[in-house]
Amino acid sequence: MRPELTGICVLVAAMVVESFAQMFLKIGAAGGPGILSETCRRLVGRMPFGAIAASWITLGIIAYGLEIFLYTLALHFLDVSVAFPLGSLCFVGVALLSRIFLGEMVGRIRWLGVACILVGTVFVTM
Amino acid sequence: MNRPSTKLPGAVVVGLILAIVLDTFIQIAWKLSVSHVPADASVSATIRGALANPLFYAAMLAFGAQLFNWLRVLARADLSFAQPFTAISYITVLAISCHSLQESLSVSKIFGVALILVGVFCISRTPFRTVGVGDRNPANLDSPQP
Repeated sequence: MRPELTGICVLVAAMVVESFAQMFLKIGAAGGPGILSETCRRLVGRMPFGAIAASWITLGIIAYGLEIFLYTLALHFLDVSVAFPLGSLCFVGVALLSRIFLGEMVGRIRWLGVACILVGTVFVTM
Repeated sequence: MNRPSTKLPGAVVVGLILAIVLDTFIQIAWKLSVSHVPADASVSATIRGALANPLFYAAMLAFGAQLFNWLRVLARADLSFAQPFTAISYITVLAISCHSLQESLSVSKIFGVALILVGVFCISRTPFRTVGVGDRNPANLDSPQP
C-alpha cells in the first residue's frame, strides 16, 4: 500500500476512534447509558460495568489515548496540510454518532455548520 | 420529535470558552515542548525531549483541566452542539502562530477562518440540547428551556 494511502486509512481510523471517545465521554458526563436509545441500552446492560458512568469516562480517556497514537502514526505518512483538514472529519463522526446512538437532533443547520467547518479547515491549511 | 431548547445557559457558554482557551494552550504548549527536538529525531529522543521541558507538564495539567471542564459542558449540552465549537481553537492557534512567526495571512486562510466562524455560528443557532435526551439521568443539571 502506498504510504499516503496508509496514512489516510490510519487517520480515518483515528477520527472514528475520536468520535467514539467523545460519545463515551458524553455518556459518562450524562450519568450513564440512560441517554442511549432503547436497543443500545439493552446491549450495554449486558456489559460488565456498563451502568457505571465512571467506566464510560475511563473508556473515553483510553480511546483518546489510542486516537493520539493513531494520529501521530498518521503524521509519519502524511503532510500536515493533508492531515489537518482530514482531522476535522471527527466533526462528521460525532454528528453521526450523536444522531444514531444518543438520539440528538442533528438538523440541516447543524449539518451545514459542520460542512462549513470542514471546508474551512481545508482553506486554513492551504 | 423533541421540543428544542434554545437559551444557552451561562455555564455552557463559560465552559465552551474555557474549552477553546485550554485547547489553544495545549496545542501551543505541546508544540513548543518538542520544538527544540530535531525533526529527524527518533521517537524515543522526541519523548525524552518533551519530558525534559516544563511546558510538556503544563500541557498535561491543562489536559486534566480540559477533561474536567469538557465533562461539565457535556452534562449540560448536546455533544453534536458543543464539539464543533472546539473548531474555533484552529483559528486561535493560527492567530497565535501568525503573530509569533510574523507571518501574513493569505486570502485562503482568511476565507477558511470565515467559513469556520460561519459554521460555528450556524451551530450556535440550533438548540443546545435535545429535550428527552439524558433527562433520565440526574447528572443533567440545567432544565431544558422551551
